[in-house]
Amino acid sequence: MKIAWFYFASPSTFYRLAGWLAPWFFVLAAILGAAGLYVGLFVAPTDAQQGEVYRIIFVHVPASWMSMFIYFVMACYGAVSLTFNTRLAAMMARALAPTGAMFTFVALWTGSFWGRPTWGTYWVWDARITSELVLLFLYFGFIALANAFEDPRRGDRAAALLALIGLVNLPIIYFSVVWWNTLHQGSSVKFTGTTMQVEMLWGMLLVALSFWMYSIGASLTRVRAIILEREGRTHWARSLAT
Amino acid sequence: MRPHEFYIWMSYGMTALAIVVEIVALRVRRARSIRRIEEERDLEAQD
Repeated sequence: MKIAWFYFASPSTFYRLAGWLAPWFFVLAAILGAAGLYVGLFVAPTDAQQGEVYRIIFVHVPASWMSMFIYFVMACYGAVSLTFNTRLAAMMARALAPTGAMFTFVALWTGSFWGRPTWGTYWVWDARITSELVLLFLYFGFIALANAFEDPRRGDRAAALLALIGLVNLPIIYFSVVWWNTLHQGSSVKFTGTTMQVEMLWGMLLVALSFWMYSIGASLTRVRAIILEREGRTHWARSLAT
Repeated sequence: MRPHEFYIWMSYGMTALAIVVEIVALRVRRARSIRRIEEERDLEAQD
């Protein structure tokens, strides 16, 4: 079965599709989040070294993953909008940025509150933490640049270019604990496997899936608002506001 | 959770707050876009 990509790339069609899909993603996010928190807070055992404070991992690691993953997807949309000059891809990139920034902030905040009892400090200019902070500034830069032009299409192009340049920061974040001698611990979950206890891993994966579903729901909801802002003068958009 | 409940709940609390703030911001933005379209349509109808 062939999917009519160009049909769904039309803002008016995608507006309706996003409106239908978004609530389902929010429902999935709530179910997976509840399951993940239950496993993380009640099923997973206490860590032998860190005690109960390690339970911050169930929000810290999924938020960190999402902060990088959303940036990657945002840059991909930026690349598509630059290459094919598609309006919807640029709108999706814009819609993802605030959610990505939110997860980056959550990753930094929870890392800080994990660092205080384990390292004795809320903040340290460690390679992993500093590169994650740079990611937050890249998100802020993307949002500011996208809105800095009177013509939104110029803002789309400038922000997409920034997103693509900023991609270089993602391997720096991921490999920072390998390339430099950092205070931050190495990755507990790698592409090759994990050393984590199975309940701990399940709790973390369920919350990560929940954040993923939430991000899709939030970006679909935001892109609907962006479509209305851009297409407000068209007949179909006006017929919605009745 | 003792003796680190403060750090754990500050982490979970801020995560929940950030998500709630984003959901509220999404609703406000959508309502504002619809209101703007209605206002423009009403202005054109008056002209």
